[in-house]
Amino acid sequence: MEDKPKILIIDDEEVVLDSCTQILKGSNYQVSVATDGTKGLEMVEASRPDLVFVDLKMPGISGLEVLDKIHDIDATIVTVVITGFATVSSAVDAMKKGAYDFLPKPFTPDEFRLITRRGIERRKLVMEAIALRREKELLREQFASIVSHELKAPLSAVQQNLFALDFELANTLNEEQKGKLERIKVRIDELLKLINSWLRVISVDVNKLKEGFTSISVTKPLNDALDNLATIAERKNIEIVKTVGEPLPSISGDCLSLSEVFANIIGNAIKYSPDGTKVQVKAEEKANSVVISIKDSGIGIAEEDLPHIFEGFYRGKSAQTTSGHGIGLAVSRQIVEAHDGSISVESEVGKGTTFVVSLPISKS
Amino acid sequence: MNKRLLIIDDDPDFVSGIKAILDSANYEVEVAYNPKDGFQALQSKHFDLLLLDIMMGRGAEGIMIARKLRKDAKLRELPVLIITGIREQIAFLFPGEPVHPRFVEIDELVEKPVEPKMLLEKVETLIQAAEAKKVKK
Repeated sequence: MEDKPKILIIDDEEVVLDSCTQILKGSNYQVSVATDGTKGLEMVEASRPDLVFVDLKMPGISGLEVLDKIHDIDATIVTVVITGFATVSSAVDAMKKGAYDFLPKPFTPDEFRLITRRGIERRKLVMEAIALRREKELLREQFASIVSHELKAPLSAVQQNLFALDFELANTLNEEQKGKLERIKVRIDELLKLINSWLRVISVDVNKLKEGFTSISVTKPLNDALDNLATIAERKNIEIVKTVGEPLPSISGDCLSLSEVFANIIGNAIKYSPDGTKVQVKAEEKANSVVISIKDSGIGIAEEDLPHIFEGFYRGKSAQTTSGHGIGLAVSRQIVEAHDGSISVESEVGKGTTFVVSLPISKS
Repeated sequence: MNKRLLIIDDDPDFVSGIKAILDSANYEVEVAYNPKDGFQALQSKHFDLLLLDIMMGRGAEGIMIARKLRKDAKLRELPVLIITGIREQIAFLFPGEPVHPRFVEIDELVEKPVEPKMLLEKVETLIQAAEAKKVKK
């Protein structure tokens, strides 16, 4: 059986405490009382009630302070203030501090019962919302592991055996047969990459990312990304022109995930640019932010596609001839937004595209 | 004498794909299809390198093996090539960048599937690194 909801009433007037206890007698609640804020807070700490009534005017610590401290102990506890004089302003102050409702003195038994019932219902809703959120999180994690195991494992085993077959038969197969094997390997490789990128979107945990933030310079992740893309750029004979407005102020962020953002965007710029063109990468300080822009002279993005490119699993019409899954930009946006930054794009078909990432400078 | 390798991986189909490559490069390869048999083999026989899967059975049982290795004065020196399908837990990686989880003194992590050339290179490098370390001592 579910526990009876716990209610605590903090009021310096014994008569109020007595009558409240009397009114709720016989209902399905566990009622306890405290005659001042200090005792009340001790009881909140010890028994974690579902609903707390707090008198605003008490000797010792004030009702508003008690409210604050209750929310510090457990923000899910529902609080209702009891106001001696039904002054709107003190009730409003209390509500601003997170109280759910107020009970003006004097009150009738029915009024008190009603407010109690509403408060307990509120608490139930709060707890349900938390449970749902947790469940959703769990589902997301489980989905990620299901995808990774049930899809990736067999595909990896298939690919590994193809690798072995190709290795063993290197001197036996004719060109046509080798071509077929190659085709199979390429398609399976694409599938594996697709699964990996799905997993990436699912597993970007913005809160966990924020925990690891340190004071960094944007130059480091930018250079990491450029180093990593050097070979691909060379292969397409694309010159990357980098200008950094030194010294750049530091930002608060995660180096590795930011380098993923830059690698995604600059990688796209290279991929969608004609051979022999330039990609311009610029980093500079602008109005309390570090602004990084990446400009290419590539195929561009159609106007009707522009609003969707950060949504994930979306690829514009003009991009349909090149490989990719449209995941990179969605992940990039998640990462940039976790940094309280923004990412935007301007483009013209046939002329090129400019991505702009803006990251706020750390305040300290 | 040929180098002796042990593979611990619970997916026989995957094992067949890496064993064939290692066989044809003249390694002597033994396989254990679960962590328990694997650890028993490690304790009773000599190997020059361990190829270890991470996700086996009920979870990351490969990590448990690595922990046991670290606690063992002799097995601690065995080089380990970790071959795993879990990527999302290693977060974002630049392709081709080497990963050393440092579960034991000499180890490296690669992702499934592994291309033959890379597999043979990693195996060779790790065995050499372990031997160089022994000579120093």
